[in-house]
Amino acid sequence: MIPIKYNIRNLRRRWVTTTLTIIGTGLVVASSCILFGMVEGLQQSLRVSGDPNDLMVLRKGSTNETSSYFDLSKVVELATIPGIARDEKGRPLCAGELVNIPVCERANGSRANLIIRGMDPISPALRPNFKIIEGRTIEPGKGECLVAKPISGRFKGTRLGETLKCGERESYRVVGVFTAGGGAAESEVWVDRNDLARNTQRTGFVSDVQLRAASAADRDAIQKTIQTGTQFNLLAMKESDYYADQQITGMVLLVIGSVIAVLLSIGAMFAAANTMFAAVKSRTREIGTLRALGFSRFDVLLCFLGESILLCSLGGLLGWLATLPMSALTFGTNDFNSFAEKTIQFRFGPLVFAVAFAMTMAMGVFGGLFPAIRAIRLDVIKALREV
Amino acid sequence: MGQEPAIALRGVCKEYRREQIKIPVLTDLKLTVDEGEFLALMGPSGSGKTTLLNLLAGLDRPTTGEVVVHGQDLAQMSEGQIARWRSRNVGFIFQLYNLIPVLTAFENVEMPLLLTSLSKRQRRENVRTALRVVGLEGREDHFPRQLSGGQEQRVAIARAIVTDPYLLVADEPTGDLDRQSAEEILELMEQLHREFQKTIVMVTHDPIAARRASRLLKLDKGKLVGDVIQAQEVAS
Repeated sequence: MIPIKYNIRNLRRRWVTTTLTIIGTGLVVASSCILFGMVEGLQQSLRVSGDPNDLMVLRKGSTNETSSYFDLSKVVELATIPGIARDEKGRPLCAGELVNIPVCERANGSRANLIIRGMDPISPALRPNFKIIEGRTIEPGKGECLVAKPISGRFKGTRLGETLKCGERESYRVVGVFTAGGGAAESEVWVDRNDLARNTQRTGFVSDVQLRAASAADRDAIQKTIQTGTQFNLLAMKESDYYADQQITGMVLLVIGSVIAVLLSIGAMFAAANTMFAAVKSRTREIGTLRALGFSRFDVLLCFLGESILLCSLGGLLGWLATLPMSALTFGTNDFNSFAEKTIQFRFGPLVFAVAFAMTMAMGVFGGLFPAIRAIRLDVIKALREV
Repeated sequence: MGQEPAIALRGVCKEYRREQIKIPVLTDLKLTVDEGEFLALMGPSGSGKTTLLNLLAGLDRPTTGEVVVHGQDLAQMSEGQIARWRSRNVGFIFQLYNLIPVLTAFENVEMPLLLTSLSKRQRRENVRTALRVVGLEGREDHFPRQLSGGQEQRVAIARAIVTDPYLLVADEPTGDLDRQSAEEILELMEQLHREFQKTIVMVTHDPIAARRASRLLKLDKGKLVGDVIQAQEVAS
């Protein structure tokens, strides 16, 4: 085999074209990483619990928790259904929650809807990786609130110690900031359910119940009990189904992203191919020499294909690394279900890495293939005469 | 050594096609070269010298006829076989040296050894030996651009002999060198012939270079027109 140092030194020797090609492929990979970082962030925000046994109980006829309400007494009954999972203290994982979406003032003075969730003490256990990262949890009945980290600072009065005012009647003192693994809760403000009910004059009602079944079989049984039993007459949806609608947005972005990534990759393939064709052309006599020395066509093919992959890998790596710091960024979008501000964090996880890797390989292999084929089809004798 | 000639050509014809026209380059060539001969090929441009050299080196195939080198009929081998055969049996010396610019002298000489199963250590030893033979000890880490033309050609000769091939082919090895360097290169080739009994075939335009060979062949219009065994001159 022709040693790789031959390729590395050749890339270094024509460093101007090498650098330009690396920048080109790097930019292409970076832009796709940003796009897919958004898709991955969106998908993460919709992965509310990650637990397939979670059910969401709504009033019959409702499609989301905003338009759902039912009697608080049913929460107590729901918690007694056999098969509901329990936490380490033995409390059933069944949380009646009340949701209000008032218009609040953003830090920049504009206004947007904000989800205020009246929580049950068990609510945090039903969110993935719920963690208070600053301050403490709320004490019931004291008008306190927890603010999701991406929200903190985005709206007026949402920093620790400040007071969040929404409309005339609602005001909460921020006592803690939480994260929830990038899930939907990260766009919310959590308050005591009774505080919220009192402020919004909805005492005795909840919007919905979140509960977790102990197993898949239990989940199906519970779902059946809730939906068909006259006792409840409520709608029980798998949480994943509930968020399926919203995932369509994610899917659309994913499809658009894929199309753009493919088109960009094809463009970059031409750039890589151009560079490699020039490399083959300028090294014709070297190729002839290598063949005369006894290196096979396959050796030469590998050599130039390898050089192209190396070239694009440098670009791909650069593009991927350049976008990593963006994972600290959050962008706001509208949730079309609740019309509330939704914050999504760029995520550069396995999807983004896979996209970056696939694009890099595609550019390297397809960009290098035709030049490499040209290299191996050179007539040795003619190649040796090339000056 | 054996009775078998190093090179035997029988009825070799070579023609190229350019569009529909056949251009004969070599016609009905017959030639026998014994082992250890130092052969110079002379002739005007287009007489077929380089084509003949390429046939002997297994870079090209005759249109008809037999090219037997070291007992192997090259026309019968597949492309892969002939590439492997070349790597073991033929050392190439080119007019423009054809060194790989991005590789050092050591790495250039090592290239043909990468096609063998030698260990890294053995390769290093062989490369050092070859560079010593051509008088370039201590220049291992120099890149071609850091060497003079004569030195570059020495590296190329070291690369040609590092696998201890059966046959050395040289296409105008002094064509691009000044007189002094050319003399040194010819001396080196003579030494390879004398001390290591290498069979050498050298194409040249230069009568002075040709005089160094033990046998002089003249080609004209694809035919052998002269075959002289020369008294070996010792360099003055």
